[in-house]
Amino acid sequence: MFEIELIEVGLVALRGRLDAVQANDAERFLDGIDSEFVIDLSELEYISSAGLGVLLKTHKRLIPFSGGLKLIRVTSHINDIFKYSGFDKLFEIETS
Amino acid sequence: MDDHVKLTCNRDIGELEQIVDSTERFFAKNSIGTDIRGTVDLAVEELFVNMVRYNKETNAQIEIEMYPEGNGIKVALTDHDVDRFDPTLHDDVDVNAPIEQRTPGGLGIFLVRKLVDSIDYDYRNRVSRITFIKYQEPR
Repeated sequence: MFEIELIEVGLVALRGRLDAVQANDAERFLDGIDSEFVIDLSELEYISSAGLGVLLKTHKRLIPFSGGLKLIRVTSHINDIFKYSGFDKLFEIETS
Repeated sequence: MDDHVKLTCNRDIGELEQIVDSTERFFAKNSIGTDIRGTVDLAVEELFVNMVRYNKETNAQIEIEMYPEGNGIKVALTDHDVDRFDPTLHDDVDVNAPIEQRTPGGLGIFLVRKLVDSIDYDYRNRVSRITFIKYQEPR
């Protein structure tokens, strides 16, 4: 199960499992973002390199316009994946 | 009692759902702690997807075998009629590179190598077999 929801202007929540099957849906949604955005990951249970790639692509696209994505309420397991990937050096991240 | 499980999967990333379900049942049946589920799911996904996406010259099904190993799990993925691709020799990703130089490429195999306790590669007669082990952390 994977869900992506626009909570309010500037805030999106990702929930469930963001794997190679779901990455295309996430990419289609995030391709529609063109301003500063915060991503709430408190209910994201799993992310693979496919999901990491979607976040990285979106972040790189938005940096020239808005400073990119901010990732908030990141759980410890997801934060470990971010650290191993070097994402802690690329994104502004707030853990839960 | 043989607690070995063998899945035979089509070359379709849509198979991930049944792979995850089977892994969940294997963990429950063998009382393996869920603290390593995320790592095992990630390693299986990255290796399986890599086989599906980059071994295009075959239509053979991919076999995934799971075995209890100590307090953890051993997983073997076997791909038939393919060229050699040894993930243990894969170049590291430079995680300190500036963002303009970062791409998603190679990140999956890099994470697998970082997160599992061991990974081995065997290639003979055009059959590629990748085996990894992940143990639970000592309590």
